[in-house]
Amino acid sequence: MNLLRRLRRRLRALAFRREVERELADELQLHIELEQEKNERLGMSPDEARRAALVTFGGVERYKEEARDARGVRLLETVAQDLRYALRTMRKTPAFTATVILTLGLGVGATSAIFSIVNAVLLRPLPYGNEQSLVRLYSQVPDGTIDRFSVSIPDYLDYKTRNRVFSDMAMWLNSTMTLGDGGEPQRLAAVFASDNLFSLMGVTPLHGRLLQPGDSDHPDVVVLSHGVFARRFGSDSAIVGRRITLDGSAKTVIGVLPPNFRLYTRDVDVWAPVVIQQVPKYTQRGNHILRVIARLRPGVTVTEAQRDVRRVAANLAAEYARDDQGWSANIFSVRNEIVGDLTRPLMILLTASALVLLIACINVANLQLTRSAGRGRELAVRRALGAERGRLVGQMLIESLTYAAFGGLLGIALGVAGTKALVAAAPGGISRLDEVSLDARVFAFAMGVALLTGILVGLWPAFRDSDPQLGRTLRDGGRGHAGSMHAWRVRGALVVAELSLALTILVGAGLVLQSFRKILDLDLGIRTENAVALRLTIPGRYSDSTITPFFRELQRGLAAVPGITGVSASDRGPAQGSGASTDIRLIERPEANASASLMSQVSVVLPDYFRTMGMKLVSGRDVAWSERQPVAIVNAAAASRFWPGRSALGQHVAFGRRSTDSGMVVIGVVSDVRRGDITLREEPMIYIPVASAPSFGRTMMLVVRGSLGTATTVSAAKRAVHGIDPMLPVYEIRTLEEIVGDTVAQPRLNATLLGAFAALALVLAAVGIYGVIAYSVTQRRQEIGVRVALGAQPGDVFRLVVRQGAALAAAGLAIGLVASWLLTPVLRSWLYEIEPSDPVTFVGVAIVLGAIALLATAIPARRATKVDPVLAMRAE
Amino acid sequence: MPVESNDVLQGTLDMLVLKALSLQPMHGWGVAQRIQQISSNVLQVNQGSLYPALHRLEDRGWIEAEWGTSENNRKAKFYRLTRAGERQLGTEAATWRRFATAIDAVMSTT
Repeated sequence: MNLLRRLRRRLRALAFRREVERELADELQLHIELEQEKNERLGMSPDEARRAALVTFGGVERYKEEARDARGVRLLETVAQDLRYALRTMRKTPAFTATVILTLGLGVGATSAIFSIVNAVLLRPLPYGNEQSLVRLYSQVPDGTIDRFSVSIPDYLDYKTRNRVFSDMAMWLNSTMTLGDGGEPQRLAAVFASDNLFSLMGVTPLHGRLLQPGDSDHPDVVVLSHGVFARRFGSDSAIVGRRITLDGSAKTVIGVLPPNFRLYTRDVDVWAPVVIQQVPKYTQRGNHILRVIARLRPGVTVTEAQRDVRRVAANLAAEYARDDQGWSANIFSVRNEIVGDLTRPLMILLTASALVLLIACINVANLQLTRSAGRGRELAVRRALGAERGRLVGQMLIESLTYAAFGGLLGIALGVAGTKALVAAAPGGISRLDEVSLDARVFAFAMGVALLTGILVGLWPAFRDSDPQLGRTLRDGGRGHAGSMHAWRVRGALVVAELSLALTILVGAGLVLQSFRKILDLDLGIRTENAVALRLTIPGRYSDSTITPFFRELQRGLAAVPGITGVSASDRGPAQGSGASTDIRLIERPEANASASLMSQVSVVLPDYFRTMGMKLVSGRDVAWSERQPVAIVNAAAASRFWPGRSALGQHVAFGRRSTDSGMVVIGVVSDVRRGDITLREEPMIYIPVASAPSFGRTMMLVVRGSLGTATTVSAAKRAVHGIDPMLPVYEIRTLEEIVGDTVAQPRLNATLLGAFAALALVLAAVGIYGVIAYSVTQRRQEIGVRVALGAQPGDVFRLVVRQGAALAAAGLAIGLVASWLLTPVLRSWLYEIEPSDPVTFVGVAIVLGAIALLATAIPARRATKVDPVLAMRAE
Repeated sequence: MPVESNDVLQGTLDMLVLKALSLQPMHGWGVAQRIQQISSNVLQVNQGSLYPALHRLEDRGWIEAEWGTSENNRKAKFYRLTRAGERQLGTEAATWRRFATAIDAVMSTT
């Protein structure tokens, strides 16, 4: 209570400073008057009485000061005073103020934009309860190539009963469903999950309830994602309990998930309980279809769990040799799975932005030094007049912190804008990016960085300048230490540091930008212009035998539209990354089948697919609608890997290692295309006509090429599809250019960010060296004047100044080249067909930065040649 | 050379002020006069220490102040002892008595 009252008094003393001061003056005044009256009563004359009263009292001001100290507000008052002083100084030197705040703001903004992403992706907890003990269980493929393969249902059930490390295990199957409740049918990403999935993951519903144990017994219930709930049902919680039509049958909505929930990295719209007995081929141990998640028992580590599932896997392999021979299992922590890959790239970007911030700090420190040097005389005089050193340090610190605070605010504003731009530009592959927002942690980070900068760049000059060698500074006419060798060395060192940092970022950005250009220049093997892709799904009411006629009719109808030059489809999207591989068997080369790694990707296509996509048929012919025998077309990679040294045409290939059929005859070889990570060459691929595997054709990516423009082409395609069946959902409509653009989104983002940071660094470094040289020219005016008076030509003066800058630039570049050489290897994973130590980049960047540094030097150097010796010498 | 000092002993001013105010509320000048008067002019309150002392005591909550009107209708700040102040005065007086007795005992040793 006492403390509260004191605080109130202090606040009052601060807030009503004038009033409190007046009261104090009144009080003292009264005292003197009363004393004077007393003296008069004792017989003194009024003048005498007053003088005596004042003499007894002593200096009024001193008591006021002491009384103020007793009020305990002196520190706060001092700070407030310094703050006002700082704000006044800022207003008086707008150019300086703007430079400092802008510099700091850019540095802080760049760093906090990246930090906000780091925060969302790496630091914030996942939307699951107790995420540390959540792990994924995968099958390990025998040949060792794939360590994250799906798990078969029998294996899953065995892991569940035999493991000793999990408190619970759950699984799900990815699927799709068509939502048809009037209007255009909509394709939804669906998951069939074991009914304990949500309780295992520790998720609480937004509305209603989630799947819970027992739901598998009445599988006509579904849970909605927040996305569908908002998009399709207008966020009306009355949807809970209602029935919706999915894949033609009625399902009851039992609950809605919270907005931030997502299963792993996949966006899922609806969730239904899985009934194992209804899953096709659910008894087959070789049918790897399940995604499995598990909760570790308390105290069990990932390594222990890994050992235990390997033990179970070994037992299964022994018991069920036919299917599980050679298979094993892997455990990965869910957190690592979701954010693990992103740690390194984000850290690289965070480091790069921190380097920019460091350059900004150095610039600000340099600016402060420049100015405090100009204030040497002011400080010396104040010190000589008795100002306490601590008071001067405090004042300079507060000034610096004020700049920092403004810089921080600007930084936050720029950070907000930058983050928005980043999220908009970022590729879809970065998990949790949609959760990026500026929370308290980001603000604290930005402000903390800014204020720390303020303290660092403020404290050092403050301490140095608050204790100048008084006599010398005053004698030197205020130039004092500012022009001294020591100060020059410090400022020179700062510029050297700045240039070397800038060079490092520039080299990194140079390497990444060149890689990006090489990636853009890659021949993808397809023609992307004037083509759109649309996904469509053939519902279950179509039997397999009707699928081929459907596509045949669609192709014929759509190809007849004037302006459309190509129509075809494949189950694999253009540039879509690798799916699962399949074991294959080469009929003519039985010896090759002994190797366990004879696998290939498989894709079904309609006739004319390769021409429509712009791929080249290297040899042989395209598939036709009706073939007399099973046929296949292979890509060049498959042809050279499976039949090295001979023609693939006429060879036979079969699916499955233990199958006994005579396989398909290879009728053509097509060029490779780039898929997924387009920096990699395509793996072997076998294309088969849709007629030979119609069930693969249930979800196809229709590709339509034509000169009609995107919108017209899309509507023509939709009309053609709905002309055959108005209930077929057409979705994922995109141009091939957009699809391919997505595959380079990550390198594009990296290149853009590093490029932006490098540009910032370049500008800041140029400003830095310009500032130092310009200041040194001002300081050396007199010397230059003398030189000119003694006959120095403008060229001599110019060279004199430029040499100074060139020395700094050379040192900065040399250090920067070494630093780059040490640092660029961390970029290796971002580089494509360029070495981290690429000499051309190193030299090129050094030349560019050196040229800009010299240019920044040349401006003040030119000014130096204009120095009028008479004026310069008279100015002293 | 023996020096006679009649400045208030360091550290006792606060106690004297509290004592003076325990008799009746008064303004700063009154406090100084009262101490001088009771001590028969032996104790001179250094005016410069008085006001800081008053503000300090107020800050600690031992006295409280309010603006009132003085003898001849002038605005004056009147100080009054608080409960806490009374307790503090009791403590300080006891300490002082023990201290004075002890000093006295030492000084009167022959």
